[in-house]
Amino acid sequence: MKFAIALFSPPHAPASRRALRFAEAVLASGHEIVRLFFYRDGVYNASCAMVAPQDELDMAAQWRAFVAEHRLDSVVCIAAALRRGVLNAEEARRYEREAISTGAPWELSGLGQLHEAAQLADRLVCFGGD
Amino acid sequence: MTTLHLLSQSPWRQPLDSVLRLLGADDALLLCGDACQALHTGSEAWSLLQTLPATVRLYALQEDLQARNLGAAERVTPVDYPAFVELCAQYDKVNGWL
Repeated sequence: MKFAIALFSPPHAPASRRALRFAEAVLASGHEIVRLFFYRDGVYNASCAMVAPQDELDMAAQWRAFVAEHRLDSVVCIAAALRRGVLNAEEARRYEREAISTGAPWELSGLGQLHEAAQLADRLVCFGGD
Repeated sequence: MTTLHLLSQSPWRQPLDSVLRLLGADDALLLCGDACQALHTGSEAWSLLQTLPATVRLYALQEDLQARNLGAAERVTPVDYPAFVELCAQYDKVNGWL
């Protein structure tokens, strides 16, 4: 079965960890993930500028490793990312900002990618809240 | 058409009555995160859950029950992540209440 997973919460919210554990279980069960989509505060999961306290899980790092290992299609909403300062090299250049705070394996793109993922997948599962 | 409803917010923050009103007779509710607080017996949220028809299945994410020292009451099936995935496949749609 094909899954699309959307995450609306930042790395320090329990929903981020829940979404990652769910995504791992999807693959472990032999299902497919057609796309991960990060929206609203969920875009912070794609930031490489966040520093987790030493006694807490570094969810952004765990997501990055998971996405890279499984070569997943992982889209970060570009409008939500820009307003939160999550910029890749191209956007930092375009808006003349000094800081680059995201890059591979993440892709910045539009909300249309979430709509497309919902069409491509058998199930869209959204994670947010606490 | 059956739907698996995912709840993750505390019932004090996201009142259950608006959610329960939209549940179909063969839908299911999966409580995770602070939504598990609805399983405190004697609470208003718990009383509301008791009003659900017997055909509506209730599930709760096991790790969130453990984290809150909540036992799964009768009628509530604890699930781990692989079971969560299979529930998503079992129901026609998954609706996450954000």
